[in-house]
Amino acid sequence: MMHYKVMEDMSIMEKLGILTDAAKYDVACTSSGVDRRGDGKGIGNTAAGGICHSFSADGRCISLLKILFTNECIYDCKYCINRRSNDVVRTSFTPDEVCELTMSFYKRNYIEGLFLSSGILYNPDFTMELIYQTLYKLRREHRFQGYIHVKAIPGADPLLIQKAGFLADRMSVNLELPTAEGLSRLAPNKHRKNILAPMRQIQNGIKSNKNEIVLYKNAPRFVSAGQSTQLIVGATPENDYQLMTVAENLYEKFELKRVFYSAFVNVNEDKELPALPGGPPLLREHRLYQADWLLRFYGFKAGELLSEEKPNFNILLDPKADWALRHLELFPVEVNRADYQVLLRIPGIGVKSAQRIVTARRNGFLGFDDLKKLGVVLKRALYFITCNGKMMYNTKIEEDYITRNLLSVKEKLPFDKDGITYKQLSLFDDMSFSMQPDVTDTHKAVLGQL
Amino acid sequence: MEEKYLVCEDSLEGIFTGIYEAYSLKEDHNHLHIQIGEEENLRLFASYTGIIPDSGKAVKVSRTINKELGEETYMCICRALASEDRDKGEAVYKTVVCGLHMKNGRQVMGNLANPYVHKVFELSRSTNNEVLHLKGFLRFQELESGILFAKIGPKNNIVTFLAPHFADRLPLLNFIIYDEIRGLFVVHPASKQWYLVTNTDLDPNIIQNYSEEETKYQELFKYFCHKIAIKERKNLKLQRNMLPLRFQEYMVEFW
Repeated sequence: MMHYKVMEDMSIMEKLGILTDAAKYDVACTSSGVDRRGDGKGIGNTAAGGICHSFSADGRCISLLKILFTNECIYDCKYCINRRSNDVVRTSFTPDEVCELTMSFYKRNYIEGLFLSSGILYNPDFTMELIYQTLYKLRREHRFQGYIHVKAIPGADPLLIQKAGFLADRMSVNLELPTAEGLSRLAPNKHRKNILAPMRQIQNGIKSNKNEIVLYKNAPRFVSAGQSTQLIVGATPENDYQLMTVAENLYEKFELKRVFYSAFVNVNEDKELPALPGGPPLLREHRLYQADWLLRFYGFKAGELLSEEKPNFNILLDPKADWALRHLELFPVEVNRADYQVLLRIPGIGVKSAQRIVTARRNGFLGFDDLKKLGVVLKRALYFITCNGKMMYNTKIEEDYITRNLLSVKEKLPFDKDGITYKQLSLFDDMSFSMQPDVTDTHKAVLGQL
Repeated sequence: MEEKYLVCEDSLEGIFTGIYEAYSLKEDHNHLHIQIGEEENLRLFASYTGIIPDSGKAVKVSRTINKELGEETYMCICRALASEDRDKGEAVYKTVVCGLHMKNGRQVMGNLANPYVHKVFELSRSTNNEVLHLKGFLRFQELESGILFAKIGPKNNIVTFLAPHFADRLPLLNFIIYDEIRGLFVVHPASKQWYLVTNTDLDPNIIQNYSEEETKYQELFKYFCHKIAIKERKNLKLQRNMLPLRFQEYMVEFW
């Protein structure tokens, strides 16, 4: 095996600083994961809902020790701080250092587990082997049973990826740019098919593992929390429709658990990259997460929300309200009779409140007051619903009128910098007046971070 | 008809005993009420009866709730009773009445149009939220003796809801969780069952000296939290919203 230079003179503190700094743009979270109880012989368990352990100054959740194994890299991707041509201090952890940090942080309840990504040191195989060794030590020597999310390095030997998959809870390969054209322009050393190959391999691994588990209850689990990927938003000129179509394909064809969207932060000032005087495109990222929720939990299709003619999301309205306003012929909906799937499409009604409506109406007709108690945001829903055949007020069902009224209720965005109108937005529209959203709801809602 | 108030102790046992007594009166439930502790303003035309907690009666009530209303409803009620709300006893009592009237009592928590059920639902939810928060925000510090020690100051009495989670997570470690507001300790000896003690049995001042490594890891974690933030996205309002200040004072990264 090749030797890699470990900078002996660098303290663990310095290494942690450099390799955290380099990993911070990667999005990952422990939600939509797995429930796994401890076996009493080691340390750790995992919770399906995910647990947030802290929040950093940008309001994003800290749930994993998110680090790179090394920031050395043979590639020269234009958007990446660690690209070969950048003059930055380079360093690498040893597998033992990563284990020590993970174990010591975990037992103090600082973190939910480890997120290990890496630059490419020498070649993909060498890097993947180091990652695998680290995971092996953590799982076998330290008997760590907490959450592990690891990157599959594109181009690495499928056998190594397979071995790592049996030790990790989640694996991800970052697609980074939605189109092959964007990728070849900004990441000349990466090829789309090299990224999709490990993704397909992990998908097939998960599928065949499910069959094994049916046959043999104690068969080892392969990537039990599924795989995820990340798309950079705003580095290349793709529109929202292209992004959503890619995401939809990833969910349907690759059976991904999550697609993360990351507003592009220009760290390299490269001439190929857009200048972003207004800062990272946070509103666009936010709209994409809202639409992503609609795809995964609300039964929407990308083609319903956007089209070739209207390829970008409305800046002023969330995608669901925008959709409803273009389909006023379907409204108003009678809350006491409508199907669950129909309820989900009403602005102001989220997954939780729709479920509650379905349960509560078994015990009698629901009025507007009851809906409020169930967590429905009436200020938004009132234009689209009837209770016992009556609308709440005498309102017109007319696009301009409703748009004007919806806009007068200021939308709550998580990044409103003036802070005056600030309030957490929940994609479950569950911030009613009498009922607080669940911790998990709020967490999941913000930037889809958690 | 005269309103009757049953004055109960603020505990699961006290309130369940109250519900038992209310049923044994065989009167209209609309005129019976459960109240926790002494009321300062007594009402005219109402009678007040003190109820002495009785574990036998309480067990009967908890068994009935489990059987007729289901385990899930029972957990909901337990969580609601862990809150500090003064009207939780009345809400739980009327929820039980509502559930036992229904054809399928297991669906009682879905009946959110009923104000008492809604109240229990809300209290249970807020307790549950705090439990979920503290599963993440609680911080252990390693003492010289190797014991992990965590101090919390929760709004609701939730230390017994947290203990099973950490006992499952850290089975081979000795740890203590201390609720400084209620003076309660959860003690978990390595590889054994956890148990609850009050501060009359354990002096919080014995927890003073931290292990040599403790400061090192606190520094490392603080540095990590600093480095992980993206400065172009800085948003302290969002941070505070996700992680309220009342938790921050117990967390090493904010010291």
